[in-house]
Amino acid sequence: MNHWLTAPILIPLIGGILQTFMGYAPMSLRRTLALATTVLIVVATLGLLFMADDGSYRVYAFGNWQPPFGIVLVLDRLAAFMLVMTSVLALFCHLFALGGADEGNRQFHTLFLFQLMGLNIAFLTGDLFNLFVAFEVLLIASYGLLMHGGGTARTVPGLHYVVLNLVGSAIFLISVGMIYSVTGTLNMADLAVKIPQVTGENLHLVKAGGMMLLVVFALKAAVLPLCFWLPKAYAHATAPVAALFAVMTKVGVYAIIRVYLLVFGDDAGELANLGMDWLFPLALITLAMGVIGALGANNLRSLIAWQVIISVGTLLAPIALGSREGISAALFYMLSTTWTVGGLFLVATLIASNRGGAADRLITAPKMRHRTCLSALFMVGAVAAAGLPPLSGFFGKILILKSVEPGANMAWLWSVVLIGSFLTVVAYSRAGSIVFWRTVDGHLEDKDQQHWPTSFAAGALTALSIVIVALAGPINEYTDAAAAQLLDTSAYLEILDVPVVGEDN
Amino acid sequence: MSLPLVVFLPFLGALIAPLFAQGGRTAIAIASSVPALIGLAALFPHWETVADGGSVLYTLNWLPAIGLSFSFRLDGLALLFSLLILIIGILIILYARYYLKKKENIGKFYAMLLCFKGSMLGIVLSGNLLLMMIFWELTSLTSFLLISFWNHKQDARRGARMALAVTGGGGLALLAGILIIGNIVGSFELDAVLAAGDQIKAHAMYPVALTLVLLGAFTKSAQFPFHFWLPHAMQAPTPVSAYLHSATMVKAGVFLMARLYPALAGTEQWFYMVSFTGMATLLLGAYVAMFKHDLKGLLAHSTVSHLGLITLLLGMGTKLAAVAAIFHVINHATFKASLFMAAGIIDHETGTRDMRRINGLWRFMPHTATLAMVAAASMAGVPLLNGFLSKEMFFAESLHVNLPAFLTWLPPTVATLAGIFAVAYSARFIHDVFFNGSPVNLPVYPPHEPPRYMKIPVEILVFACLMVGMFPAFSVGPLLYAASYATLDGQVPEYHLTILHGINLPLMMSIGAFIGGLVMYSQRHKLFALHARFREIDEKAIFDKVVSQLADLAHRFTGSIENGSLQRYSMLLIVSVIAVAIVPILSLGVFVGESGLSPVDWPTGIGAAILIVSALATAFAHRERFIALVLLSVVGLMVALGFARFSAPDLAMTQLSVEVVTIVLLMLALYYMPSWTPRESLAGRRTRDVILAVVAGVGMTLITLAMLTQPFSSISDFFLENSKTGGGGTNVVNVILVDFRGFDTLGEITVLAIAALGIYAMLKDTALTPPPSDGQGHAWTRDSHPLMLKQLARPLLPLALMVSAYIFLRGHNLPGGGFIAGLITSVALVVQYIASGMVWTQDRIRFKYHNVIGLGLMFATLAGVGSFIFGYPFLTSTFSYIKWPVVGKFEVASAMIFDLGVYLTVIGATLLALVSIGRLSPHSAIKSPRERS
Amino acid sequence: MELVFALVIGTLTATGVFLLLRARTFPVVMGLTLLSYGVNLFLFASGRLTTGGQPILGSTDNYTDPLPQALVLTAIVIGFAMTAFLVVMALRNLADNDDDHVDGKQPKQDAHTSKLEREVTGK
Repeated sequence: MNHWLTAPILIPLIGGILQTFMGYAPMSLRRTLALATTVLIVVATLGLLFMADDGSYRVYAFGNWQPPFGIVLVLDRLAAFMLVMTSVLALFCHLFALGGADEGNRQFHTLFLFQLMGLNIAFLTGDLFNLFVAFEVLLIASYGLLMHGGGTARTVPGLHYVVLNLVGSAIFLISVGMIYSVTGTLNMADLAVKIPQVTGENLHLVKAGGMMLLVVFALKAAVLPLCFWLPKAYAHATAPVAALFAVMTKVGVYAIIRVYLLVFGDDAGELANLGMDWLFPLALITLAMGVIGALGANNLRSLIAWQVIISVGTLLAPIALGSREGISAALFYMLSTTWTVGGLFLVATLIASNRGGAADRLITAPKMRHRTCLSALFMVGAVAAAGLPPLSGFFGKILILKSVEPGANMAWLWSVVLIGSFLTVVAYSRAGSIVFWRTVDGHLEDKDQQHWPTSFAAGALTALSIVIVALAGPINEYTDAAAAQLLDTSAYLEILDVPVVGEDN
Repeated sequence: MSLPLVVFLPFLGALIAPLFAQGGRTAIAIASSVPALIGLAALFPHWETVADGGSVLYTLNWLPAIGLSFSFRLDGLALLFSLLILIIGILIILYARYYLKKKENIGKFYAMLLCFKGSMLGIVLSGNLLLMMIFWELTSLTSFLLISFWNHKQDARRGARMALAVTGGGGLALLAGILIIGNIVGSFELDAVLAAGDQIKAHAMYPVALTLVLLGAFTKSAQFPFHFWLPHAMQAPTPVSAYLHSATMVKAGVFLMARLYPALAGTEQWFYMVSFTGMATLLLGAYVAMFKHDLKGLLAHSTVSHLGLITLLLGMGTKLAAVAAIFHVINHATFKASLFMAAGIIDHETGTRDMRRINGLWRFMPHTATLAMVAAASMAGVPLLNGFLSKEMFFAESLHVNLPAFLTWLPPTVATLAGIFAVAYSARFIHDVFFNGSPVNLPVYPPHEPPRYMKIPVEILVFACLMVGMFPAFSVGPLLYAASYATLDGQVPEYHLTILHGINLPLMMSIGAFIGGLVMYSQRHKLFALHARFREIDEKAIFDKVVSQLADLAHRFTGSIENGSLQRYSMLLIVSVIAVAIVPILSLGVFVGESGLSPVDWPTGIGAAILIVSALATAFAHRERFIALVLLSVVGLMVALGFARFSAPDLAMTQLSVEVVTIVLLMLALYYMPSWTPRESLAGRRTRDVILAVVAGVGMTLITLAMLTQPFSSISDFFLENSKTGGGGTNVVNVILVDFRGFDTLGEITVLAIAALGIYAMLKDTALTPPPSDGQGHAWTRDSHPLMLKQLARPLLPLALMVSAYIFLRGHNLPGGGFIAGLITSVALVVQYIASGMVWTQDRIRFKYHNVIGLGLMFATLAGVGSFIFGYPFLTSTFSYIKWPVVGKFEVASAMIFDLGVYLTVIGATLLALVSIGRLSPHSAIKSPRERS
Repeated sequence: MELVFALVIGTLTATGVFLLLRARTFPVVMGLTLLSYGVNLFLFASGRLTTGGQPILGSTDNYTDPLPQALVLTAIVIGFAMTAFLVVMALRNLADNDDDHVDGKQPKQDAHTSKLEREVTGK
């Protein structure tokens, strides 16, 4: 048993507990501790990344109970990848928050850390019901974070977000029940063993359950027609929260990859590739909807919020097709888009804070402060997000485009993605030229409140796109290996006979 | 190694040059020309190899997965273009030093100019199509920034966005085309692609690929119908226009066609698409140029027309035509760049570009005038100048284009016609500007010669025009040969670079064009009058309108779908679930499995009936909130009994205690909320909802029925076997909770804790004033804490604590456990709050609930971490038996510490939540002890 | 027995869904509560129904499937936390918009309201 697997969960848990005790401790102390926790998480996840890169599965059986009976954590390339992606994003968001976003009430850091805990559980767990618990942890924390910072603007979107996700949780439980009632197990590997043996009327039960589960994940991933809660909620959230939420939709995508490749994968007999024929067209429509939304957005934040939806569509299309190249491409693109969108949210907030009353709305306003630097940052982010060369988004899109086999799917995917990118470029250039160039005379009354952490965090997160380009080769090798590992489900099943402590010798 | 150096030095320079901005314009100009000079020096040694058709290659792996390699390739064609880019680049830098004003942001200007230069070099030197693609889009981006350099001008912004949209969009098409080619060839390496020409042309996807590639080329090179962006790009500072929009960037499309000539050209489709587009552009550009009063506008449209000429030549498909095309690339670059610079000088000195005001400048700036006139003559195709030579070749080629017989007349006619226009507008550029009376109220008067050095670039270029015009073979012969060799894949035809080929039809055409042009110019006023009848269309305005209307449309569309109505979103969610589940459920139908149905006993039947009725009643009476709430609690109670009935004591107890707390919570909420719901939804909406509800309900019924009647086996036998031996408890459910699946429970209490903290945070600075009276209009009673309740409640607390302690301890073996115990304790405490009021209770509860929560989580976590010490995984439990005096043999499991954590968290969370809500109202003056002192 | 149980779950789901689709926060909360009752019963039922048994070792010889019970217990707790949070959000919504409509405020459509009047008054 390698205790390091629990690090990404226990570090934020303990950090969070400490924060709850420090209700009235001085802010500086809380901040230092909280940031230290996040840094530790990054270190731990990087460690796990290198561990996982040898291509073997590492299993951690809680309570030392043999799977499938106990709950297990399973570390593979995909899990490690998601962990690192999240922790790095979180680090910059957290840094940004120190600029003052964490003030107001004293719960920000607690919630932030618990949020990370929930995310990390979701990425590591190998148990279906535990995945549900993980979702609940990260959701309840996200509710809290979404409402952080007061103001009445975010109450209603928050309410919608909560209600929809509560319904989602209910559906999740129903599908777990249906699947358990047939297979009598919860461990994913064990499910992958049992599902192909399902026969007769039970097939319908499992099929219904599986499809409902897909709906739940689609809701999390914000797939059309379940994506409309997202734009307003994200656009109104506090900057670091919105940026961190760039990863929330990816949790849904992750769950789809994990469950549907493993449990309902090619070897699932009658139930092979359940629901994927639904997913592909929906993904493309989602992408289109996102582009339209971005084109119609009248402020930067909602433009970026719609960008989140664009990325989800772009991501899920190749995943639905399920080829190794496709999954690898999707993972590469996921890394790029998550960090870019996160960075853009931060940049947009900086812009808003430098345009006085106009904030980030697409209207003429007095010449903003720090125009050159911020416009440069925005340009980098926009180019990366729209998928123009030379930044990471371009490579992600090329990988995705190249991953499809010639045929109808190819025609659809290519045209939607390319036309989508074109319109996105139009949207960004329009927004940028209004915000930065179309100025009127007049001065900004309010004082300039730039803190170094905010600017640094925003800049660095956006600049990661360049890092991805520089490391494109290695990263792609990794995602490729991850995809291969995912498609070789038989290897995953071996976790079932991992020896627990004390009986192997 | 030298090739990537050539490409990346400018980018490096872009980073460094701005540092010299403080040093003034001269300093930065010198600094920015260094990369180009080094670049020239680096290319020089390769001349030998390239001259006789060889090529230099440099390759480095980058992203093999997509066949993107970091490879650069220098051959004749690439060399020709690199030289144009580098040399004209240097001249532009020198020119811009005098053109730009001191106060302008020169650092930014030179940085972007260098970025552009680097990208442009990247395009021509890339040895990998994807790599070229990257630089291709980079030129679109950098030119976007350069055109909008004066971004305070609306026209500049619009022009820039239009250029980006057209060229960037074309770039995406090109990308698709290149990807297809890559699929066909199996590689993006230029050598491989150029070698696979036949394979590509034979492939089924060739038409698509060609169309997409040409889209890219045509948009970039401003071919009809995409030509409209170029004239509006003239909002850029003149050095930019001279560099990007005459000499280099607009040539990228032409370059691409020449580059892929061996791979794509030589088919019917290529011939028709390229040559006819070229013809249309050639004619249209020449025609419009004639009628532009703006100096730069004239040059811009003439550029469009010349690009059309080159395209047409490339389309004709004959080898000689290709040679002519490349030759004209050189010539056009030289004379057009110098003309733009001259126009810039005139603009600079007179303050206007309107040819109706600029007249007779000969008197003021004879030197500039001479230069401009020579260049313009070359544009018109006057002998002894380079323009003449390539135009002669063009005329000659236009005579034998292999078209169907009835069309053979077309190319020469178009060529001559275009020639006429070219002569006419060139004549106008000369006569109208430098002679033709005297200036009409110029902003700057009198104009005079520009600074000496500003003219040097023009002089150099004009000198080149002359040299090429008079000694073609000697001046450009070798370079042209090398370039043609690369384009034509070695099969360079026989051609003679001589000034005159004798009296032949092409010469006649030229002469005709001359006379015609001069005649047309002399009649220009009539033509202007005629032309004025047609309305000028301003593409900028149209583009802007289209985009903003598009945005508006998108906005309205989005608004109509994403309309911020939760009811719609929930409906969509429910509908999606039904949509995906309905097929399997229907195919399941009313299904009763092998285990069949068991008989119903009376009590259960009645209980079920009560449950169903009160559930329905809740739904029907939901607008009377209080009644609905009571009914709801009945449902909850019945559910608890149901658990008990079907052998789940723990669940029953949990459900019961949760029920109590939930109802208290909802009561509290109702205290602030309006106590009845207005009727809002229309009949249609209601029926829709009822239908959805019924469908969902029926679906669940069918599923449950099928599920319950199917035989099944689960992993649970393992739990039953190991609960006592491995977990040390006989209450298997509890052992699962704290041991087998303890991690779930850890997550669960974390959720509880977060919820409480979130609630606390959310309500911290919220105040709500409850309505003065309840729904029926009775005022709330003043007597806040009824005596009876008070008297009953106080002794209740210790009792409740004892009970919960008992429940807690037995939990591991009998129904009970930390969670239930915790809830009982909290209920007891809540009762205190209700009975004796918040102030009284708070004063007696000295601890902060945050810390209780923290403590609880801490216990649970530590109980888990403890097992690390013994080398066991997280949450591994151990247990032993101890003899206690009275109680007797008693078993303690480490899991109990965990359960204690659960207990504490539950208390802390529940109370924190309820108290936060309780303190909402300003009336209930509850403050925590700390806040009050 | 199974049929009755199925009907109960069906009813809870149906009523829950109906209330979920109402326009005010309080009914929505009640709807979600009903829905969660149904879901808990369903999840519990996934271990099949046992009469007169117990998940307590030694107490009986016909054991129920303890796992779903544990799951439901977790589900109940989480459901409780979520309900509490939702209720508070509803209050917050009320405080911010002094209105308990799920969208903060009623849709401002005269056509809608007038149509409503007519319906309510039955003309």
